[in-house]
Amino acid sequence: MSSLDDLKKKAHELRERLEGQLASASDPGGLQAVRDRFLGRKAGEVTALFKDLGKLAAESRKDAGEALNALKEFSETKIGEAEASLERRLRESRLSSERIDVSLPGRARASGSKHPLTLVREEVEDVFIGMGFDIFDGPEVDDDFHCFEALNMPADHPARDMQDTFYLEGLPPRLLRTHTSTGQIRSMLANENPPGVRVLCPGRTFRRDDDITHSPMFHQFEGLVVDRGITLGDLMGTLETFIHAVFGKEYPVRFRPSYFPYTEPSVEVDMGCSTCKGRKTGCRVCKQTGWVEILGSGMVHPAVFESVNGRLGKVVYDPNEVSGFAFGTGIERIAMIKYGISDIRLFYESDVRFLEQFS
Amino acid sequence: MKIPVSWVKDFVDLKVDAQQLADDLTSVGLACDGIERFGAEAVLDLDITTNRVDAMNMYGVAREAATFYGLPLKPLDLKFPESGAPSNESLRVAIEAADLCPRFAARVFDVRVGPSPAWLKDRLELAGQRSINNIVDLSNYVMLEMGQPTHAFDLTKIRGGVLKARMANGGEVVKTLDEVDRPLTPTMGVVADAERALAIAGIMGGASSEISLGTTTVALEAAYWNPLLIRRTAKALGMHTDASHRFERGADPLAGPVSIARFANLANWGAMGTARPVLIQAQGAETRARRLTLNLGSVDARLGAGIPAAEARATLTRLGFEIVEPDPGASAHLGTARMWDVLVPTWRGDCTREVDLIEEVARHHDLMKIARTVPASRRAASLTPAQRTERQVKALLSGLGYREALHVNFVSSAKCDPSQGAIVKIANPLSVDQDALRTSLVMPGLLEALERNQRHGARDIQFFETGRTFRPSPDGPVETPRLALLISGTTPRGWAGKPRAVDFFDLKRTVEEVFARHSIAAFSLSREGVPPFLHPGRSVLIRLDGKACGYLGEAHPDTIEAFSLKDRPVVGEISLDALSVRDALSFNAFSRFPEVVRDLSILAPVTESAAEITALAREQAGPAARRVELIDRFEGAGVPAGQVSLTLSFLFQDETRTLSSEEVERSMEAVRASFSRAGYSVRGVGPL
Repeated sequence: MSSLDDLKKKAHELRERLEGQLASASDPGGLQAVRDRFLGRKAGEVTALFKDLGKLAAESRKDAGEALNALKEFSETKIGEAEASLERRLRESRLSSERIDVSLPGRARASGSKHPLTLVREEVEDVFIGMGFDIFDGPEVDDDFHCFEALNMPADHPARDMQDTFYLEGLPPRLLRTHTSTGQIRSMLANENPPGVRVLCPGRTFRRDDDITHSPMFHQFEGLVVDRGITLGDLMGTLETFIHAVFGKEYPVRFRPSYFPYTEPSVEVDMGCSTCKGRKTGCRVCKQTGWVEILGSGMVHPAVFESVNGRLGKVVYDPNEVSGFAFGTGIERIAMIKYGISDIRLFYESDVRFLEQFS
Repeated sequence: MKIPVSWVKDFVDLKVDAQQLADDLTSVGLACDGIERFGAEAVLDLDITTNRVDAMNMYGVAREAATFYGLPLKPLDLKFPESGAPSNESLRVAIEAADLCPRFAARVFDVRVGPSPAWLKDRLELAGQRSINNIVDLSNYVMLEMGQPTHAFDLTKIRGGVLKARMANGGEVVKTLDEVDRPLTPTMGVVADAERALAIAGIMGGASSEISLGTTTVALEAAYWNPLLIRRTAKALGMHTDASHRFERGADPLAGPVSIARFANLANWGAMGTARPVLIQAQGAETRARRLTLNLGSVDARLGAGIPAAEARATLTRLGFEIVEPDPGASAHLGTARMWDVLVPTWRGDCTREVDLIEEVARHHDLMKIARTVPASRRAASLTPAQRTERQVKALLSGLGYREALHVNFVSSAKCDPSQGAIVKIANPLSVDQDALRTSLVMPGLLEALERNQRHGARDIQFFETGRTFRPSPDGPVETPRLALLISGTTPRGWAGKPRAVDFFDLKRTVEEVFARHSIAAFSLSREGVPPFLHPGRSVLIRLDGKACGYLGEAHPDTIEAFSLKDRPVVGEISLDALSVRDALSFNAFSRFPEVVRDLSILAPVTESAAEITALAREQAGPAARRVELIDRFEGAGVPAGQVSLTLSFLFQDETRTLSSEEVERSMEAVRASFSRAGYSVRGVGPL
């Protein structure tokens, strides 16, 4: 090994051998052996050629040096590429061995759900909270004053017939509230910022009825707004906003005169039938009228303010100074319309086949 | 009420079809629930509210229609010929109970009793009434047409020639037209002759003076009865008739003579009978039209609409109200306000104050024309802390896989567990199964719900429920809001692992989660005082600040048997008052120095409390041990009988410096020493 040519020839031969060996090295060990064989600090063949440089004629050394550096760089690159490629292949094969059946269902875990009446109640509450109403909880056990008398239904009032009442044994005389309208009286009596009132009173109510559309226990919410200058227009705007928020703006809302002892004027609120969408024909939900009753409402009767003032022992709600509106409906009724439920008893049987549909 | 449209047309020349009439009457407050058609006849089914007795007849409906359409309302034809001896020669009337009967009128008729003519029969049938005979039918016809109930007595059966309005005598019995003997009390009114009660006042006639085919003279009676007394009597007797329905809601005090005249007119026209001269009347205090003041400014203020005075005047006038000159003093006081004095027609007993007049104007204005507004809110509204807590608990539990159950408050008193306190009973329950208010949401509510689901094969159940329980107190029943939980069956089935039966510790985890988020104070558990429907070895009372606030445990085998359950449910109840919103969350800086973890396994008698062993370890490990927790528990192979292997994990960390291994070792040594003193054998120290 004395000439530049020999050295170049040798370098060429090493390149070819390296490529051959890299091609046949298939695992990390084999590749390391190739690296040691060519680039090893002690026994590497490329390393060894550098040791021969000194033996060359001075004028050839520069060329030879360049050739060897090129060989070394070539070897480093090729071995590096082979290593990287092998690593890639190994990772790919590992990933492919780790493949899972993504079509398997997620790991089993019990699913929970809120009761449909809770869903409706919370939705209704939120709509009214958005309009500045506080939520007012009243007792389920109440007395004649709060349930009837203060609501302009003195003893023997015919309207009491519509609300067949459960009475409790023992004294003092107590009954189960027949409507959440008790909340009107209780919220006005407990009002910390009189005479303004803006409350929604949701809760359980009780009547001696039991059939497919009546349960002896059901839920209502009662709303009350009292202030200076409250009008029937305010009642209608507020309730239309509520109905559109809960059912959708596509349903028309109709207001018509009605009668409740504790409001005057009294107004029944209907919305377009969500079952037949106003087609009427054959619809059992709206009895082919295109309308379903959704809320009872009205302007607070002056007699109600007078009862509250009487209980308070002073004129806090002067019917000549303040006015208000009240409204109420059944939470079951809204849920039945909204979810298409026809048997009210389903709400109270805790049948998981019913409950799980509200997940 | 069934309203044949053709009958209404007797009094107003309607130009609209039945559907339009129905829609328009609905818009003024006489809601139409449906239209039935019989050939050319259309019959509206009107839902007339209880305050509007005046509209519970054809003429009243016609008045509403005439007002709505601005059409003339034709008067009732009240003309008739008279013949024969004056009525007061064979009959006199007397009011012996002025409170019961302010006005009483009667007239004698010579009649030809027989079947009703077709026009009479047909109209009654369209209105939903069965035909009896022409005289009875005509009395009904007049009531349906103009609202005043009348009653025809067979004159020959009236003893002593007198009809009296009086209170019943004690022990008096009247056999009513429906052939039922009605024992009366002195609080009930009757129409009587000289000897006995003939009819129950305002409710139903009696069999003894009933019209028969042989009747030739009748006394037609028309009175005004005290609504309250009629209502109480009808209720006490369990009776409800067309007459009582009207009288107890307040009929027109002046309508009696009108109804008799209308009867006479129709009887003559239909050749059914002839009136004898002289209307016989008795009356107490004179009935005067009620006078109300209407401020047109209040109409606009209450409705939020500008109603022209001419419109208000037209509505009120057409409805029969009379607008008279205002009281000059009142209008002067109110300055420029537009004030009217209004006389209320006697058939509108429901109109007693200004606001009632406002409603009349509003009804006929068309509510849909009033601009809808939302009043500005002056305060930020929100839920109360208790309301927020309940919502958050519901959200948490439904997120944890519980389904919300909801049950009626009524339970059978026989099924209430005495351990849950005294019972509030219902005086008039629907059934003995629902004769009390619940004292617990679990017993029997949730356990019964579990059994119902089990019947259709649903056994893996997780329920929660919130609601009130009730207990008596001297001030009336006390309501306590509670949260109840029930789990039963196994963990969910799936491909990834075998299901196992749920147990005490599954529900305990849920309770811990609830308290961790919703309790300010720490809760403690004790075995004492646990309700007897729970397994005594697998249940605890939950205490907060030492006060019992609930329980948690597996159902007692007797309970499981009593409810026919297939699995072993775990149940719990917590007073919602014990929970609160944790709104005072705050951040504590965490230590940035290294953590050192040591595990320690011991053998201890199975009867020892893991919580106490952990507490002992925590105490001995000192303040450097930031966390000590039980990470393994094992009984069985390799562990001597009566012993349990427990592994505790200790995490040491200081806030201000790196702990040396000597410090950690000293702590662990103290733990080991205390365990040895307690008689536990130390099996090994980790990390292993």
